[in-house]
Amino acid sequence: MNILVIEDEMRIAKRIERMTKDILGSRLQSLTHIGTLNEALNFVSNNPLDLVLLDLNLNGESGFDLLSTAISGSFHTIIISAYKEQAITAFEYGVLDFVPKPFNQERLEAAFGRLTGKEKSQTHSVKFLAVRKRQRIHLIPIEEVLYIKGAGSYSELFLVDGTKELHDKSLEKLEQLLSDSFERVHKSFLVKMSEVKGLNVRSGSKYEAELKNGALIPVGRTRVKDLKGKWV
Amino acid sequence: MSHKAFFRFHWIGLTLLITACADDPVFIEHQTLSRVGDQMEWATQNHDDKDWDKKKAKLQGGEIYWTRTKIDILKAPEPLHPYGIRPYVYGEYEVFWDGILIGRNGNPGREETLPPEGEMFATFILPTHLTQEGEHLLAIRSSVYYFPDHVGMRVDINHYDDLLTGRLIETSYMHILAGAFLIAAFYFLFLFLNDKRAYPMLIFSVSCFLFFLLNLAEFINTYLSIHYSLHHIRLEIIGILTFGISFLIPLYLSMQFPFPRRKAFLIIYAGILLFIFMVKHDLFDFTARNMALSMWLFCFGIATHGALRKKHGAPLVLLVLLLSLLINFVISFDIGLYVGFSLILLSMFYLLSIRIRQQRIAYENSLVQSTRLRLELLKKNIQPHFLMNTLTSLIDWVEEAPKKGALFIEALANEFDLLNQIENQTLIPITQEIALCRTHMEIMAFRKEVNYFWEEEGIDPVEKIPPAILHTLLENGITHSLPAEDNSVRFKLSYETNNKGKRYTLQTFAFNVREGKSGEEGTGLKYVKARLRESYQSNWDLVSEPADHGWKNIINIYS
Repeated sequence: MNILVIEDEMRIAKRIERMTKDILGSRLQSLTHIGTLNEALNFVSNNPLDLVLLDLNLNGESGFDLLSTAISGSFHTIIISAYKEQAITAFEYGVLDFVPKPFNQERLEAAFGRLTGKEKSQTHSVKFLAVRKRQRIHLIPIEEVLYIKGAGSYSELFLVDGTKELHDKSLEKLEQLLSDSFERVHKSFLVKMSEVKGLNVRSGSKYEAELKNGALIPVGRTRVKDLKGKWV
Repeated sequence: MSHKAFFRFHWIGLTLLITACADDPVFIEHQTLSRVGDQMEWATQNHDDKDWDKKKAKLQGGEIYWTRTKIDILKAPEPLHPYGIRPYVYGEYEVFWDGILIGRNGNPGREETLPPEGEMFATFILPTHLTQEGEHLLAIRSSVYYFPDHVGMRVDINHYDDLLTGRLIETSYMHILAGAFLIAAFYFLFLFLNDKRAYPMLIFSVSCFLFFLLNLAEFINTYLSIHYSLHHIRLEIIGILTFGISFLIPLYLSMQFPFPRRKAFLIIYAGILLFIFMVKHDLFDFTARNMALSMWLFCFGIATHGALRKKHGAPLVLLVLLLSLLINFVISFDIGLYVGFSLILLSMFYLLSIRIRQQRIAYENSLVQSTRLRLELLKKNIQPHFLMNTLTSLIDWVEEAPKKGALFIEALANEFDLLNQIENQTLIPITQEIALCRTHMEIMAFRKEVNYFWEEEGIDPVEKIPPAILHTLLENGITHSLPAEDNSVRFKLSYETNNKGKRYTLQTFAFNVREGKSGEEGTGLKYVKARLRESYQSNWDLVSEPADHGWKNIINIYS
């Protein structure tokens, strides 16, 4: 796993590094620490990453600029911040977890737990998905997203107005963020449950979810039972 | 100041409604004839006075002269309500009506030998049976020993009661105003005593007091009988008071609404006043009116200039001046002057009330501001960015190197202690401020693991400074700096004085990561500026900008 720590307080950065090494052990491939905003932005766009641990207040600058860039990336973001009141906003932007300072190893471990999917319970709902379009970050309100199709290491967002956008995160990562309103109905599809109108059966016991706008989404055989339970 | 001075017969409801109701006159006064000499038959109605002089008698002093005036009574008085007569005549005299002696004021012709007797304005009853409708003859036998060139020729006839009470009523109204002026004089004097720089208050107080005296001097003869030989003293006093007032009121206004070359204008104005005062000095009324007119014109000029310059209150004063002009067209000069000044006084009270309100609001604001600054200072060390980051580092030190952790806790305790000491002060010794900066650097060294160095130059240990302003600038320096190659950040505080005032310079030697003019001012700088404003009003400036070596902050405090 490749991890970047963005933190301007040296002592705290060292603490994060030490604990991360402890928690992840051999799963950790690389761990980098950066203390300034510009360097961090630069690093993020040029290196493959799985996780960014981000402090929202770097050298007096707000970290929200960096946050919108970070959440559009293919990696997950965990915020480590002194400002608890920023937590809700951060979750709305789609961070995996918000670790308030001061923190201990248990709390950091729990955050990493979300990464591996062990802890799925999302306490705050995501309000936006950030997509990168022509070098700029666009925030797409989650209400406009109908369903998401996985396409290798990235995903396609299908929107209410019929358009689609590419998101750098994999379907698995998005599933982790959107678990409260979206359901994984197929190995390649995440569907917003409030948009599902009905469940159709096709020949050969193939299942399809019909959305309110008429779109048909394939439903994996193993997931039908699960889905019926939730939907009925 | 134009006026109609001669319908002063009777005033009713004077100041309340500022309306004057003159009764229809009950008599017509014909040409007065005069003759020096003394014959008792000159009193009689049918004496042939064809060869008498139509001009005023020319006297040497002390000799007796007579005047004869035909008077038409237009309407006989009601029974039991006799008419009275009041001659406006200088001197001591006897009054004959249709040949009959009806009154005596002093001892005409014997003034040289006898002491002064009688009063300035004597009033006599006209016997009812002698005031039937038709022609009558008034003869006055008098002498003017003291002022032989002041020969009076005018009389007033009306109901005796009204003659006596008319001026008393007028006086009582005017004395209400006098009381107001006296109170105002004391009030503004007290205002001055409590703020010795408030000279306009003193001038206004003196003006009010002069008006009070003028009012007394003007109306004192209503209830105090003054011999005609002393009358000019009263007029002198009135003249001098009017002179003083005519100078002081424009002076006061010129302080309220300053204008260029104020001194020169005031000196010229004083010269003009003095000229008016001297040139026709014996014509007291004429002089007083001219002085009042000059005063009005000058005041009008000052108020107009003030109003054009949008000076606070000038439009109100201008309005009041115009109003007083209007009033002087309607009522007599004597009274118009007081009413006009009363209006100015009222407008001053109004302006004062506005100023008191502004002061109260400013004071309340300053209280709120002080409280806010105090809270901000208190918040410095509990705001999450400082506290939570510090605690996170602290936990780490305690876990990893407990002995260093203990030192860290001590540094933290030090900073909290210092902040507690300065928490409710507006100025603290510079040494305390520097101590605060040093403990803060210590804490930050534990957090950032950067070597911070503090240098100072020319610090005067007796100097005082608003609390935590250098501390705030230092915080900014630490937050926005990356250490140099040797992992150090240096700060240097220097202090200089010159003839303009004091200057503190706090320099940061490090890589600066903040932009020069970001447009938006951080809460730190806002705090520093608010503190400087609190202690030095507008006599300071603050420069906070990038420098080759990192950053520099310059605080100038002007003396």
